[in-house]
Amino acid sequence: MVKGKSLPIGAGILVGIVILLIFGIDNFEVEALSKAPDQTPSYLYRPDVIDFDMLKDIYKKFEKPTAVFLHDQHTDALEKKNKDCTTCHLDKNGSMSLKFMRIKDVSREELTKIYCDNCTKCHAETLAVGEKAGPVKCDDCHRERPEIQSSRVEFGFDKSLHFRHYRAQKNQCDRCHHEYDTKSQKLFYAKGKEGTCRYCHKKETTQDGVEKMTSMRLASHLACIDCHQKTKAKNMDAGPVRCAGCHDAQEQLKIEKVKSVPRIKRGQPDNVLIKTGDKKERTPTMMRVPFSHQAHEEYNDTCRVCHLASLESCATCHSLAGSNKNVENGKEISLETAFHKRGHQSSCTGCHESKQQDKNCAGCHAFMNKTRQQESSACLRCHMVPVPERTGELSTSKAAQMARLMPRLWKETFGPIYTVDVPKTVIIKDLVDQYEPAEYPHGKVFDSMVKKLDNSKLAQYFHYEDTTLCLGCHHNTPVTGKPPRCANCHGKPFNPDYLFRPGIMGSFHQQCIGCHQKMGVEKYLSCTACHKERKKES
Amino acid sequence: MSISRRKFLGWVGAAGLSTTIGKPAAAATNKQFTGYPKSFAILHDITLCVGCRSCEAACNKVNELPKPDKPFTDLSVLETKRRTTTKTFTVVNKYDNPKYPKSPVFYKKQCNHCLEPACASACFVRAFTKTKTGAVTYDSSVCVGCRYCIIACPFEIPTYEYDQVLTPRIRKCTMCYPRVTEGLLPGCVEACPMEALSFGKREDMIKIAQERFRKYPNRYVNYIYGEHEMGGTSWLYISGTPFKELGMREDLGNTPAPQLTAGALSSVPMIVGLWPVLLAGIYAVSKRKEKIAQTEQEQAVASALVTDRSEPSQPEEES
Amino acid sequence: MAQVTTAERKSIFSLFNLIALIVLGVGVYITYLRFTGGLAAVTNLSDYNPWGIWISFDLLCGVALAAGGYVTSSAVYLFGMKKYHSAVRPAILTGFLGYALVVLALQYDVGRPWRLPYPLFVQQGTTSVLFEVGLCVATYLTVLFVEFSPAAMEWLGLKRARNLVVKLTILLTIFGVVLSTMHQSSLGALFLIVPSKLHPLWYSSYIPIYFFVTSIIAGLSMVIFESTLSHRFFAFKMDETHLKEANGVTLGFGKAASYVLAGYFAIKVLGISSGNQWHYLKTGYGTWYLVELLGFVALPSLLYAIGVRVKSPTLIKWTSVLAVMGVILNRFNVCLIAFNWQLPASERYFPHWMEIGISVFIVMIGLVLYRFIVTRMPILYEHPDYKDAH
Repeated sequence: MVKGKSLPIGAGILVGIVILLIFGIDNFEVEALSKAPDQTPSYLYRPDVIDFDMLKDIYKKFEKPTAVFLHDQHTDALEKKNKDCTTCHLDKNGSMSLKFMRIKDVSREELTKIYCDNCTKCHAETLAVGEKAGPVKCDDCHRERPEIQSSRVEFGFDKSLHFRHYRAQKNQCDRCHHEYDTKSQKLFYAKGKEGTCRYCHKKETTQDGVEKMTSMRLASHLACIDCHQKTKAKNMDAGPVRCAGCHDAQEQLKIEKVKSVPRIKRGQPDNVLIKTGDKKERTPTMMRVPFSHQAHEEYNDTCRVCHLASLESCATCHSLAGSNKNVENGKEISLETAFHKRGHQSSCTGCHESKQQDKNCAGCHAFMNKTRQQESSACLRCHMVPVPERTGELSTSKAAQMARLMPRLWKETFGPIYTVDVPKTVIIKDLVDQYEPAEYPHGKVFDSMVKKLDNSKLAQYFHYEDTTLCLGCHHNTPVTGKPPRCANCHGKPFNPDYLFRPGIMGSFHQQCIGCHQKMGVEKYLSCTACHKERKKES
Repeated sequence: MSISRRKFLGWVGAAGLSTTIGKPAAAATNKQFTGYPKSFAILHDITLCVGCRSCEAACNKVNELPKPDKPFTDLSVLETKRRTTTKTFTVVNKYDNPKYPKSPVFYKKQCNHCLEPACASACFVRAFTKTKTGAVTYDSSVCVGCRYCIIACPFEIPTYEYDQVLTPRIRKCTMCYPRVTEGLLPGCVEACPMEALSFGKREDMIKIAQERFRKYPNRYVNYIYGEHEMGGTSWLYISGTPFKELGMREDLGNTPAPQLTAGALSSVPMIVGLWPVLLAGIYAVSKRKEKIAQTEQEQAVASALVTDRSEPSQPEEES
Repeated sequence: MAQVTTAERKSIFSLFNLIALIVLGVGVYITYLRFTGGLAAVTNLSDYNPWGIWISFDLLCGVALAAGGYVTSSAVYLFGMKKYHSAVRPAILTGFLGYALVVLALQYDVGRPWRLPYPLFVQQGTTSVLFEVGLCVATYLTVLFVEFSPAAMEWLGLKRARNLVVKLTILLTIFGVVLSTMHQSSLGALFLIVPSKLHPLWYSSYIPIYFFVTSIIAGLSMVIFESTLSHRFFAFKMDETHLKEANGVTLGFGKAASYVLAGYFAIKVLGISSGNQWHYLKTGYGTWYLVELLGFVALPSLLYAIGVRVKSPTLIKWTSVLAVMGVILNRFNVCLIAFNWQLPASERYFPHWMEIGISVFIVMIGLVLYRFIVTRMPILYEHPDYKDAH
């Protein structure tokens, strides 16, 4: 055997491999043969986390990670020392500046000085007296803190909260509502033109000529927190000044809700006749819709659910065909779409459709084909007022009058009335084999559905006739007092001529079990709950 | 070894003739089998399944399988995830529904009767057949028991009777081939009370699925599982829950299994044709080198002898 | 510490014989259980893991390690490397016994072994890679048998038959290389059909090439290894030529193996690169892959090269063990360890002791048969009647 280099070289290589393995050994845990359960991360969810994104324009590029600032933590700490917001937020023309220790924006270097010097000074002072405080060294502030996540929930006014402010301000609308005069470049109060702040104050600060509309965020903090803080300083009851007071999900639930809010007085109509043409009403149009504005005010929490951009009528912005200019403002949406778009809370159809998902309604409505072509007579439920040229005497009545009277007139004149002959029990014996016939308490079920209508005016309007309730199960058939049996249309399954029609067994089970599942009727989800097992004779 | 022209031509001729023997091998091509026309398929609507296990009971009855330990009405078995076994051709499993935690999702698992089955491609005695009805059937009369089909199946369906000594078989769903050829429905399809299983032509099943997507857009994930997976299967699934959460693999790809091995198999004729030529060539070259070396050596010896001509002794030949 | 003399071994109760007896006895018992209780009685195979160590070791490793036959015969007869001539017969014998034992192992593993001829004679599944494997293995076993038969015929004194068969050597060698290329690569191609079950680091469209190249490595290394053992135990049977050429074989084959291992390392790395699978190397399986690639491919390549450079047969002999282990490791990885890698730990496979028992049993049969043949037939020496035949 030749002595020499072979052994040490071989050994050296082995050592190299061992070293590699040692470094790779911690990877053995990474992919175990079986999948390890997901570790739940422990985050600190808070609503008051402020990142410094708003300084992006000034800083252009951050050299270090931005500090994570917890606003409520500081508010609470200052409160303990009997200090208030003015410690950090300077006074600007009588109201509070939302910027830290400054009134207007400054250069990068000055901004850095303002933040670092002021923050560290206060921290150092607090530490000097032996209390807990934030960091004083740069890197202790400027570091990633992935364990802290923002749980901030958006906040907005609803009519109950508006009413409470209205009451507190003793009906002085000008306290909050204003418009901007471009000539005098001042804010002024325009009576009768009050609307939601969001009509002008959007997500980002915008500039339209000389008029600068600050973002909703800044505007609302300026308007709300400033007032709250001042009111609190006078030892009166006021809204929150802490972030969590408005932006924490749990705290939002604690906000007092006024039970029956009186109608906001802004000169809105009680009943409206929605015209279906453009403003000039030039061409013959679809039958008009009587609309109870008053009733719908009760059904909704805000005005802006429907009045997306202004408190005027829909046709002000939405033209018949939809505009091809102004596409950011929603004006490209045609009038018909604005009223009928499914899935959108602002349209009539969309809102009504969302109400169908309620547990009391879903038993039938969940299984209705969303894209079905309804009969044109279905439009008449709303579109019931003929256009002026088409009628004689009716054209002389005032619009509001007509809107109030029409639904009842229509029902009396045009609506058919059938007597509903609902059997008490239906014995379903089409498929007796493994199980005995099912005894379906038809009468009881129908009565309970009629009773559910009491809860919803919307449901009562569309189910003006009891026979409409039959359509939930006796579908694809004209409304009569005596609808056909299921087996009339549903026969053997998988008929190539009727590809999309289930067979009789599938129909029964899909209809019944589907309805029970959607309406949360848990009693009838096992086989023998509906039909007993058949005892084998042989 | 030198060969005469005649011999060479004779061999080439024989080689050429031999290529005419035998069936054409399936080489790697772009052709894909999209199913026999009018073949059947089954659409499983997972949103309709309620986990009643009637399908399992019917399958057990129709295939005359042994009775299970727990009866089919016992729904507690759904608490554990099961797979097909030699006594169970199909299983229903329960999964959590993140959208509606109170309504779990159930789905039925069995052989998917692929259009280009991996098991049929893998079997070296052609024990599997993709029939005209769409069912993939198994012939136990030729099966040797190599279990390559179990290796090959991407859905992990076939099972083997390891405890049998003389007649171990592969067991899996047959799509009730005997019943279907008689015009009956497969057992599970007939038994399902919710009609979560639809049976008909494959094109029609796809049409039904697309119609359901159209009618109830919020109810379904807009994807038919099995339409293209592994080249397409005869068992199609539609679901309201993403398929991955039901343990159905979404990373199988659309390449049919036979295409995965077609490349390797198509190299066989190439090797058979080229290797002998190559190796014979190498042999010829090495033989030639030997001969040249030998000749050079002889020449060197001869020239050495010439210089020794002055010697009167007899020239000795060295071999 | 070789104590063997030129005389025959001393007694029939040697240690080896004792161990052999025990192993064979246990093997026979397990065989009985296998054929009365089925596969379930002796294996841990399941529906998730239909192939166990009888496939991964006895079939995949067995075929790879028996590759010395075609490698050696092609080196000597086709490439004209006459100095390795003495290694041909032992390599052919190893090859023949190896393949024969693979067929024996299949009798255990397959569900109905009496139907093994079916794919050839009853119904051909030509779409299956396994069909091609079966066909080639069966044919190659015949070729090996024919290549081995001259030794037996010399022993039996069948001069004319022996001379006839020897004339076919070149043809048989070419045929053998062709068949070996096909079935060695096809054993790898078996796994092309399961991209969803084999870990991406081991699954590649190049698996057939990887298996073919590793078979060459295995063949070269096994010849070195088995020649080492033969010299240890059967030196008394070896003739002058054999003993003289031995070191040359070791050095020459070690050199070849070093090159082939280096090439194999390169194509493995290229395979990872072309599949863009670098990120898998950071995982647990990735570390295991690096162990296989660096410790059992790169390292033996280097050690072989060093051994040749410093002319150390000892180093080469030990490296051959490492290289053989590497091929075995690779086969186990592809078939058992990286296969079904996504299944939970409860469904993964570990062999039953009886499966290991049968594998050891089969190897022992091989050793016993090898000893029987080598001590009687002209494998390690040239028969005096046919001295000048080659």
